[in-house]
Amino acid sequence: MSISFSDVGENLRKIVITGRLDIPGTDSVAAKLEALTAEPKKAVVVDLSSLRFLASIGIRSLITSAKAVQQRGGRMALVVGDNPSVRMSIEATGVGELIPVFKTAAEAERAAVA
Amino acid sequence: MDTGVSTTPRRDELAISASGAEVRRASEWLSATCLQCDIPVAQAQRLEICLNEVLANVLAYGGSAALDAPIRLQLEVLCTAEAAQAHVTVSDAGVAFNPLMVKAPLRPDTLAEARPGGLGLVMIRRCSDWLDYRREGGHNHLTFGTRWIRA
Repeated sequence: MSISFSDVGENLRKIVITGRLDIPGTDSVAAKLEALTAEPKKAVVVDLSSLRFLASIGIRSLITSAKAVQQRGGRMALVVGDNPSVRMSIEATGVGELIPVFKTAAEAERAAVA
Repeated sequence: MDTGVSTTPRRDELAISASGAEVRRASEWLSATCLQCDIPVAQAQRLEICLNEVLANVLAYGGSAALDAPIRLQLEVLCTAEAAQAHVTVSDAGVAFNPLMVKAPLRPDTLAEARPGGLGLVMIRRCSDWLDYRREGGHNHLTFGTRWIRA
């Protein structure tokens, strides 16, 4: 399980999460994700394309972060690539209707900074 | 679809204790067993999602009785010449809880309206082809399953 980030310019933060966002995985990264999305960048992209599994507890963590970004006037977008497992979890919950989901990082970055 | 050509059902079982690490072990067991049983990847992923969400509910809402006793899992795979199905039964000693009786939460229209919680049951319903619940011997027995056409 890992979470890393890189900042691009003044406005964009890119976060990459790998491993499994199940109960232990989410427990290990949720606080870091919350801190990374709390400030200061208004545009946040979370790359889930290398994630092996996404449970509802992980989706809850993503929703909490997306709401925090939105509440300070920003926008969060997700990258899922060709990951069928993650896409299945997102489609099952309908979270893609609340947080924009893209296949590529470039598309997500454009949406987040728009 | 019943073609009348049945093979012997394959069954595998696992008992876990109630913890997040054990939920992961159960998930890995299911994934490996599905692979051994030639269950298609998409069906195996659906079962894995359901298993994680069912066990998460047991941990969160089952109470001390659920946390102190083993949780038993049984995977059963049934095949005919043309079709197959796989189902998992999760048996726990927690407080009686029938997820089939729970109303599906309304989907929020916006991120601002979204509230945490309730997503697990939504995922279980969306990722299973059928659900069955019974309370027996002081245990909850929840079964979720998936069907597919064999190539």
